Amino acid sequence: MEKYNSFRQEDNVLIHTRLLDAPRELVWEVWTNPEHIKEWWGPDGFSLTTKAMNVEPGKTWEFIMHGWGKDWDNKVEYTEVIKPSLISYKHSGAGADYNFSVTITFEEVEGKTLLTMKSVFKSKEIIDELNKKVNAIEGGKQTLNRLENYLKRLNT
Amino acid sequence: MRIMTQTRDIFQAIADPTRRQIIGMLARKPLNVNAIAKEFDITRQAVSLHVQFLNDCGLIVIKQQGRERYCEARLAKLKQVTDWVEQYRKYWDKQFDSLEGYLAKIQKKKK
Repeated sequence: MEKYNSFRQEDNVLIHTRLLDAPRELVWEVWTNPEHIKEWWGPDGFSLTTKAMNVEPGKTWEFIMHGWGKDWDNKVEYTEVIKPSLISYKHSGAGADYNFSVTITFEEVEGKTLLTMKSVFKSKEIIDELNKKVNAIEGGKQTLNRLENYLKRLNT
Repeated sequence: MRIMTQTRDIFQAIADPTRRQIIGMLARKPLNVNAIAKEFDITRQAVSLHVQFLNDCGLIVIKQQGRERYCEARLAKLKQVTDWVEQYRKYWDKQFDSLEGYLAKIQKKKK
């Protein structure tokens, strides 16, 4: 089961997978029906109001998330919809730099549904490049720590 | 999830290739604006604006040394970006937990 639940990063793409113990049609339903989606979408303690939801390419899902004493406007524009196996959308929040596109696929695996969610961020190269830099800094620190420890051991 | 923005933040700072290059240069050694500008085909003023941007979001600091202003990188701030990726991961992990829980609930009802 573990191997199906994963998270990885490939450049500017973040990929989540999760094996859900439910038939694919049902999983599709809870992603595309406002009555279902409000039951699970959003952080703990948030509620959801769907203004409009039309799961078709070029159409949108407009919703407000209520939480932390605020209303958060959100808009999802569907770009590709293949029932019951694929949904692609563009998510727009605040600034254009934060917009990202998401592709969710549903596959039948052993009577369950494997969900794969790919989030593609506009800020290309960035995540990867920065990880490298930060890791290089961290790696550098660790090397120094190891050297330091080694020297300590030699001295005792 | 809507993500809160400020006018100038680290994500905007690194979204621009020139600024990324400046960060890269300064990561190796501190430089003054003229030295940075030499590396680019754009005007010194434009470079200066990029430098100001990086300074505003804390990725570099500008130090006055005599008549020169030296820019130094402060890369620890970049951790915000990796933290953000981690935050995104956690967010969706929770969302999927919630989805799983809901699917279990409605399937139980049906039976």
